[in-house]
Amino acid sequence: MPQETVSNTAQTAAIVVVENVMKRFGAFTALNDVTLRVGKGEKIVLCGPSGSGKSTLIRCINHIEKHDGGRIVVDGVELSHRVADINSVRCEVGMVFQSFNLFPHLTVAENCMLAPMKVRGLSQAEARDRALGLLQKVRIGDQADKYPAQLSGGQQQRVAIARALCMQPKIMLFDEPTSALDPEMVKEVLDTMIELARDGMTMVCVTHEMGFAREVADRVVFMDRGSIIEEADPETFFRAPRTERAKGFLNQIIH
Amino acid sequence: MNALDFSIAAQAWPYLWSGLIFSLSLTAAAFAIGMVLGTCLALVQHFEIPVLAQLVRGYVAVIRSIPLILVLFWFFFLVPIVLGHLIGNGRPIPIGANATAFITFGLFEAAYYSEIIRVGLRAVNKGQFEACQALALSTYDTYRHIVLPQVLRVASPIILSQTIILFQDTSLVYVLSLTDLLGAASKLAQLNGRLVEMYLVVAVTYLAISSAASQCVAALRKRYAVATSR
Ligand SMILES: Nc1ncnc2c1ncn2[C@@H]1O[C@H](COP(=O)(O)OP(=O)(O)OP(=O)(O)O)[C@@H](O)[C@H]1O
Ligand SMILES: [Mg+2]
Repeated sequence: MPQETVSNTAQTAAIVVVENVMKRFGAFTALNDVTLRVGKGEKIVLCGPSGSGKSTLIRCINHIEKHDGGRIVVDGVELSHRVADINSVRCEVGMVFQSFNLFPHLTVAENCMLAPMKVRGLSQAEARDRALGLLQKVRIGDQADKYPAQLSGGQQQRVAIARALCMQPKIMLFDEPTSALDPEMVKEVLDTMIELARDGMTMVCVTHEMGFAREVADRVVFMDRGSIIEEADPETFFRAPRTERAKGFLNQIIH
Repeated sequence: MNALDFSIAAQAWPYLWSGLIFSLSLTAAAFAIGMVLGTCLALVQHFEIPVLAQLVRGYVAVIRSIPLILVLFWFFFLVPIVLGHLIGNGRPIPIGANATAFITFGLFEAAYYSEIIRVGLRAVNKGQFEACQALALSTYDTYRHIVLPQVLRVASPIILSQTIILFQDTSLVYVLSLTDLLGAASKLAQLNGRLVEMYLVVAVTYLAISSAASQCVAALRKRYAVATSR
């Protein structure tokens, strides 16, 4: 079966392995036996109804949420309770949030320089060089010395992407990066993400932007009530979803 | 009643000035001690460090429910006795009026500042912590570079307001026979009988300094409001 070979190749080159992961909040099960492998350079779009566990899943990958069962291995390091493991995973995993979470008291450049200096040990000059280069790449090089509050939402989100890239991560996680933006700013952020995808970055994106999914995703993963219930390439998923729940969900986001 | 004669005040100025310098140094020292210690006290509570957090909560509650003047008295009379029993042969070890004033004001202000900072710590957006985690920043770097600077910025108007109160409270050192601005004025007033002039000059000085500081508070509030608006 072709299905088999696909998952096998993904397994051998997998950079993120999520295996039988459980996550509970009190009595509520947010993730129920979730298994997901992400190959090097693979782009995954995670979608599903509100409360289905998408954020929880990607937040477990960089240990912002602790999983209660199963295994998560990122770039060969298993997430355990050891601080050293957690930190080495976090160094390789960049994250972009729905609400940007830029540091309001630091300039755009300083936002990008802090972690490379404190965590990666770069000098100030090296960190600034790297920051300016990446800000240029996301097309806000001329805003480097402004404060986040002086920028538009779309610009702020691109700063957040540059800030994450400054750590030179191997994997980028996006949690609804465009859903807090005014419609006219969505495109500039998606374009940045598309460019990043073309550069070969491994990406896991929670988003309902179907155009983006069609353009860059290798796989669309559909979650509902804490479980992955459907996985397919974007064309197949959007044209012919297999499960009723995915059909219902797609109807909802189209209308 | 005689006409007001402010030439008296002009003659008295050097003495008043030395009182003012004392008031300002005490304010500055208490501010410095209070901020450093207050930040530590706030962090101990924020991190819920076992035992210490309870002790700190008790300390803050006690200090905040007692008038400063009482704390000054107790410190001046009790601490030498306690020290004597702890390290000496039971005989009181005097610590002097000046040291008493600086230490007591610092300890007293620390309790107030710590409350301001503690509340500020709780107000920091959860997303800031998550961003720090995602960037692999250590807890130390997170607090040192992200959390505390934001807290101090948000809290700076309240901290400065508290410091204005502190500046006015320095007049309480008269109970230790120390001479601050107000103390200097009342001593002179008793000598030369020019009560009205002396107290007017002092009132104007307090007013000028406090309202200048209040202007700073307003400016800080405005600046912070601009920095966070989107
Ligand atoms: N810290 C928490 N404490 C308790 N419950 C939580 C917590 N975080 C998430 N949950 C619950 O877990 C479930 C999954 O949440 P999650 O944020 O992962 O959903 P989501 O798929 O990202 O939804 P959305 O599209 O609304 O962002 C939700 O029902 C949510 O209420
Ligand atoms: Mg979510």
